[in-house]
Amino acid sequence: MRRLGGIFWSLIFLAVPILGVATFAVAPSYNIWLPKDVSEHGSSIDGLFYFILALTGVVFIATEGLLFWFLWKYDAAKAKGPATYIHGSHTLEVVWTIIPAATLLFLAIYQMNTWADVKMRRPAMAPTVEVVARQFEWRLRYPGRDGMLGTRDDLFLTNDLHLPVDEDVLVQLKSMDVLHSFFLPNLRIKQDAVPGMKIPVWFKAKETGQFDIVCAELCGWGHYKMKGRVTIESRADFDRWLEETYARQEATQPAPEDTAAAAAD
Amino acid sequence: MKQVFAATIVCGVLSCVGCGPTRVVAPGADAEAADRVRATLVSASTSSGTEQEAAATGTGWGTLKGRFTFAGTPSQPKALVVDKDTEVCSMGGMKLLDRSLLVDPSNKGLANVVVFARKTSRVKTAAAETPLVFDQKNCEFLLPVFAARVGQPVDVHNSDPIGHNTNIAGSSFNQLVPAGQGTAYKPDAETGMPTMVTCNIHPWMKAYAVFRKDGYVAVSAADGSFTISDLPAGETIEFQVWHERSGGPNGAVGLEKPELKWTPKGRFQVTLEPDAVKDLGTLEIPAASIGS
Amino acid sequence: MNRFSHVAFLLAAGCLLSAGCGRTPPASYRLNMVEATKQRLTTEQERQVATVLLAMFGTPDEPVALPETGLDEAKLRLASGPVRSDIVGRKNGLYREHCAHCHGVTGDGMGPTAAFLKPYPRDYRPGVFKFKSTERADKPTHADLLRILRNGIAGTSMPSFALLSEPQIDALVEYVKYLSIRGETELSLMRAYFELDDDANGILPETREFLVDETLTPIAEKWKSAAAAQIVVPDMPADIDLAESIAKGKELFYGDKANCVKCHGVTGLGDGQANDYDDWSKAIVEINKEIEGGLAKAGKTSTSGMSAEDAAEHRKQVAWLGRFSQVVDGDALVPRTIPPRNLRLGVYRGGRRPLDLYYRIHAGINGAPMPAAKGTVPPEDIWHIVNYIRSLPYEFDGELGADRPMVARDRF
Repeated sequence: MRRLGGIFWSLIFLAVPILGVATFAVAPSYNIWLPKDVSEHGSSIDGLFYFILALTGVVFIATEGLLFWFLWKYDAAKAKGPATYIHGSHTLEVVWTIIPAATLLFLAIYQMNTWADVKMRRPAMAPTVEVVARQFEWRLRYPGRDGMLGTRDDLFLTNDLHLPVDEDVLVQLKSMDVLHSFFLPNLRIKQDAVPGMKIPVWFKAKETGQFDIVCAELCGWGHYKMKGRVTIESRADFDRWLEETYARQEATQPAPEDTAAAAAD
Repeated sequence: MKQVFAATIVCGVLSCVGCGPTRVVAPGADAEAADRVRATLVSASTSSGTEQEAAATGTGWGTLKGRFTFAGTPSQPKALVVDKDTEVCSMGGMKLLDRSLLVDPSNKGLANVVVFARKTSRVKTAAAETPLVFDQKNCEFLLPVFAARVGQPVDVHNSDPIGHNTNIAGSSFNQLVPAGQGTAYKPDAETGMPTMVTCNIHPWMKAYAVFRKDGYVAVSAADGSFTISDLPAGETIEFQVWHERSGGPNGAVGLEKPELKWTPKGRFQVTLEPDAVKDLGTLEIPAASIGS
Repeated sequence: MNRFSHVAFLLAAGCLLSAGCGRTPPASYRLNMVEATKQRLTTEQERQVATVLLAMFGTPDEPVALPETGLDEAKLRLASGPVRSDIVGRKNGLYREHCAHCHGVTGDGMGPTAAFLKPYPRDYRPGVFKFKSTERADKPTHADLLRILRNGIAGTSMPSFALLSEPQIDALVEYVKYLSIRGETELSLMRAYFELDDDANGILPETREFLVDETLTPIAEKWKSAAAAQIVVPDMPADIDLAESIAKGKELFYGDKANCVKCHGVTGLGDGQANDYDDWSKAIVEINKEIEGGLAKAGKTSTSGMSAEDAAEHRKQVAWLGRFSQVVDGDALVPRTIPPRNLRLGVYRGGRRPLDLYYRIHAGINGAPMPAAKGTVPPEDIWHIVNYIRSLPYEFDGELGADRPMVARDRF
């Protein structure tokens, strides 16, 4: 009876590494994996992710396997003899401290370049757009034709971010009220918007398409639906869109779809 | 023991979460009755108007008059808080007083009581073309209560050296009136009971307006007297009485006058003889009817 | 752990686990208790109103739109009810998902989050909407409401719903119109009791003629005719000299015709006045005045000298005042003054197009103290004022130091 109990618990613990590996193996076919990456630096971030995943995966399987093995082999129902008490092995402890420390140090150094690319090596350019996070939306402000933010010809929008493809883009991130986080999953960008700070965020998109902006810092009851949309398009399309939207903002006559003729529904 | 005590406190606090001001119970709908009503509404035919207007029975026109008095001593009217444009509105230290209870000290006449006919079968004249002037001066509307006919032009005038805007509640008329000018307004719908007229630039300014289709409406003068002429004779007309400070429903003035079939909703009935003047005499409004 | 602790633990765990079990009752509309109490309706009369409204408009889960309303029931079905998928896999229950927590299931602007928002969410029931392209007295067009949903209202908690699909936004606008028509019908029915002849025994006629032709149709007609009431805006002259226009606009802004500074302040910061209310709050303020005055007077009056009838009347009045006070506590939001807009911020609630500013000045803002300049200020002058207002956030570029509060261009 007790032996069965021992077998049961050992197998339960064996299930952890087996199921853990199985879910990771099966997830991509269920589309539960990293979102499609369309950014330039995304590949190095993903590379880091995979590297750490492999490293920790190996360690995980090894330690879980050992755990199972010890549970199985040294089960009290089977191993009848008295337990041996050791005072610990100094060598073992040094080894299993040095190796993880060295690994972590390696990782810290290995990722520095990627971190600097994303967070430190700011391109010398004027902001393409200012994103102000607000409960519960993303308010956008494009500098107008004069290229300067904060002048009369700025373009104001909500939630509908457009950016040119294959070009460096600089986003000036602010928050109007509480902490938010500007998260573009498909561009591997995530930056907290801190009230009182103007934070630059830069990246280059390599493909066109429409992708999500989501908020990644709990900001209130509407955090779950604080969604925006980023449209990456060619420079020509982007310029045309800017012109059209600016013309709409400066409208002195109602749009055709807003007039009585159209209201005959 | 301490644990049980602590647990009780925690449970007590937790169960109070969500408590707030209790809302009164609103009665639920009667689902069966609703189905019956819906059946009536969905049927395509409009019910043949079974309730015709009571056939006009008379000819000729009569006049109704009376005088409202206030049985009691009105308290000193409060001074209004005037905090804008004081060089005009508080010129020479002038104080603007609350005019909601204006009683003539010599004869106890109560001013600004509105009397109007609720429904008449015929009307003598069409709406007048001459504009009624509704003026404002010294940051005060000159008429605390004014009556006009639907379709009658009203000249909303401003005789002050500063601008005003005139906001007639319930009508969505809220118009700037520059200094020394007027703006034309034509009421296009009847008010039920009189509606408030305010100025948003000078929020203490207040007046009341009543618009009626048939024009059978009067506002009592300073001595409390009122006259409505050219009323259709030979039919029973129900009149509504209103005063700004009345404690009755929607400002209705209910009096103890069973001979006029006066109801608590502030209505009384009279039948007029052609070419005759019916004088209701002195209608005394008890102090208790007027709110403080 | 002794036996007692075991039992207590299991009991607590059991309670926690079963919390939330049970069926939620279906959502229901709440009667406009403030108006019902103001009109001194009896319980029977309140029940009649609720019944008639149930017949004419259905429930939050199953709305009914009579043909006279001009509403599309298919769109209402998309928006109404709990969030779920319909038979073709579309998401239904849009109103409850996106709107009800602020605007309330009844559209009364008193959802669970409403009391914490400044400004309060819109109460649709009086049928008054602020930001539209029609004359002051008229309803917004369908396009106006679509625009509000798509752009949100800057400076308030009303978010932009541009990321919803077109049919979804359309369905939500239809549902808002439905709630507004329902709310206005409710008010009209409640006020009709006072207009009843005394022989009607305090019961409204439940005939098609009264309910549909006399009550519902005039309300629905105003919505249908909204598009025809759109303000016709003359073109801003193409060769306009902006600097000159702004100078003229500044003269008008400070002048006697438009009187802008009286409320918006000589600084343009909206500090010209601080003690007026919007229509929704003003109604409650007037009611509170009436209740306070009535209770104060009742406190001073003693029933000892009165006849039996008068004493009964007096007691009835006091009871009514007490109930009214209770209703206002639970069924109305605390009234708030409405400050005139700070024009230096560059935040424009109704939209920032020059066209939107033209609409605001021409027709004023329905439901708010902002008056209409129509008829007083000629159209070209309104354009000059619009140009001046648009320059206000940038008026002191470089002239004032960084520490002066008048320029706050970074907030929008």
